[in-house]
Amino acid sequence: MRSNSRTTAAFIAPAFIFFTLFIIVPTASSVYYSFTSWDGINPYIRFVGLANFKEIFTSARFGNALKNTVLITIFISALENALALGLALLVDNVSRARNFFRAIFYVPVILSGIVSGFIWKIMFNYNFGPINQALQSLGLSALKRDWLGSPAFALASVGVVLIWKGAGYYMVIYLASLQGVPQEVVEASTIDGASSLQRFLRITLPLISGAFTINFTLSLINGLKVFDQVAVMTDGGPGFATETIVYLLYKVGFSEGRQGFGTAVGLVLLFIIMILNWIQQKFLKSREVQL
Amino acid sequence: MKKLLAILLCATLLFSALAGCAGSAAPSPTQAPAAVVDATKAPEATKAPEATAPPAKAADPLEMTFIFADGDEAFKTSMNRVVDGFNAANPDIVIKIQPGDGGAYSEFLKTKDSVGEFPDMMEMRDTAVYVRAGKLAPLADNIKSLFKTTTAFDGKVYTAPFAGENTNGILYNKKYFTEKGLSIPGTWDEFLALCKTIKDLGDMSPLVIGGQDIWHMGFWFHKLYADDVLSSDPDFIKHCYEGTAKFSDERFVKTITDMQELFQYAQDGWTSTPDAQITTFLVGEMSAMMFSGTHMFTQVADADSSFELGWFPVPDRQGVQRLVGGAGIGGLSLSAESAKDPAKQAAFDKFLLYFFEKANYKLFLETMSYLPVTVDAPSVEGTDVYVAVTEAVKTADFLSPMWNGFHGDNELPPDFRNFTYKTTVEVIQGSRTIESATDELQKAWDVAASNFNPVTGTGIAK
Repeated sequence: MRSNSRTTAAFIAPAFIFFTLFIIVPTASSVYYSFTSWDGINPYIRFVGLANFKEIFTSARFGNALKNTVLITIFISALENALALGLALLVDNVSRARNFFRAIFYVPVILSGIVSGFIWKIMFNYNFGPINQALQSLGLSALKRDWLGSPAFALASVGVVLIWKGAGYYMVIYLASLQGVPQEVVEASTIDGASSLQRFLRITLPLISGAFTINFTLSLINGLKVFDQVAVMTDGGPGFATETIVYLLYKVGFSEGRQGFGTAVGLVLLFIIMILNWIQQKFLKSREVQL
Repeated sequence: MKKLLAILLCATLLFSALAGCAGSAAPSPTQAPAAVVDATKAPEATKAPEATAPPAKAADPLEMTFIFADGDEAFKTSMNRVVDGFNAANPDIVIKIQPGDGGAYSEFLKTKDSVGEFPDMMEMRDTAVYVRAGKLAPLADNIKSLFKTTTAFDGKVYTAPFAGENTNGILYNKKYFTEKGLSIPGTWDEFLALCKTIKDLGDMSPLVIGGQDIWHMGFWFHKLYADDVLSSDPDFIKHCYEGTAKFSDERFVKTITDMQELFQYAQDGWTSTPDAQITTFLVGEMSAMMFSGTHMFTQVADADSSFELGWFPVPDRQGVQRLVGGAGIGGLSLSAESAKDPAKQAAFDKFLLYFFEKANYKLFLETMSYLPVTVDAPSVEGTDVYVAVTEAVKTADFLSPMWNGFHGDNELPPDFRNFTYKTTVEVIQGSRTIESATDELQKAWDVAASNFNPVTGTGIAK
């Protein structure tokens, strides 16, 4: 028994050491930096107590970034999962070229956030982008919009890209779950006279609720840490219209020379994610059906 | 046996991974190639390179890393050409250009510093920040003496300015102006009237603005800030640090309202137009004018060599010309770590002498349409627009760097300029009132000044 523990410890040790070195230690040091006004360059570090946290909770800029983050998280969590489930049902029910459709829907997932951001930045370009060009060609010039330059559309446009890029990933999880639904239960309900809609709502949905928990958790976390697309497509603009918390963290830390404040923002974000995740887990876990 | 095997396996994994980490770390700047320098014969930094010849036995060439903002294609090409020429002429030194991030160069350089990859030599923009952090080495006296004017910190100069500050002005479609009988404005109001005339003609937008790149907003912002604020209070920022001036000041508010008034003449979609695209608008006859620096001359010529380009400076309401010009705070720098190695210091000095050597410097200036800053300046053969800029700089009523290029008591807190530009964009787009914008700017300023205040010395190491 004792030798087993030692072997276990030996196997765990490398991961533990790496995790400690690259996650725990930086996190702990960021707690220290969050109480300073360090600019990230100068070795002179000044302790400012709780000033950074006070600023976070009183600054309109952080409030705006939090609002944008929450909006984009809700937007993508809802639509991304709806689209992913729709795609999974489609792929699950299609009898021909199933693998082809799976691959097509999954392709955006393998693109990096930066690459997808650049592609869509070109697509959304007001004067030369294919979207507005297409609208113009179809005689729908009135529908042309400055998709990334208008405060009314910029955040939604970024959200569309996130959904386009992420839906394929969640589709795979839904698909795996759909294929795990016992066919005998479905057949029994069919014999009992249940309609397709009833079968979906009463049989399929409860049985894939585990996938919902996973996907909503993942999309929640992804929504809260949106960065790549904002950095590439809008730089947080126009003005501050698409600035999210993670982007704010980056801008203040690296661009504005306020590493101390940036780490404080990071810690606040960590707590927000922990709390939201706990609430979500509580809610969704209670709805899961165990087979 | 199994246990021993497991432990050995884990240990191997751990050490191999750690070895990988060690391999990725930046070499110590002081670890010069062994064969390069005999320290006892090391050249003094203040001597000319001829007097500081490299060591006699140099088995391997001395390697110097070099980073600059490579977003502008003409600048990148020019720098590559100079470095290639230098490397060919100096087989004992190899300057290695590393990719720079043109769009977010300041962040890029900070990141390189954070991960221990601060280059030996670099284009420096945030000079004051890096000087305070002790990251830069002062220029040798023989290098300083090359320039007509330099920027000193406590008597020491840390950057070799590439050229005079990039003078902004209106680049316009000369053919269109001639066809429509449009004339060069003598005052700001005449300029606005010109914009209105072009808008009413309906052929193209009066102005093209690359508002997606937030720094591009600085061209217009500085022009109006200089006319509205600096004209009556050159120390406005210092007074903000002292608390005797506020951003609700009517002159500052005027800057924002002037921006609002002006931007009605920008092309549709200006907030999502990158700076890299504005040349297309001008040569494609989608816009009649752009306000930018002289570096755009080359870009316009490259885009359409037959395009008839004109240039004029934009006056204020009384016709006074306040232009961006003179030597600025930025330029070429050597890292303080690299300067500890006499061979690297000597190589840097040698490179600067090569860069500013008349023939090389002339080529650089002509490519970039920049104005020289050296005492023994080359005679630059410029185009008509270049000559127009040269004349305007000579006769300008005031010459100064951009508002974010000041140092000392008027140095802006880091990135306050971008915060100002973004807030101004919100006002122009109508998503924020001027009052709320100035309130927000004041709040941001108060926080920034509590962390960094050159007037009181807060946040500056003694």
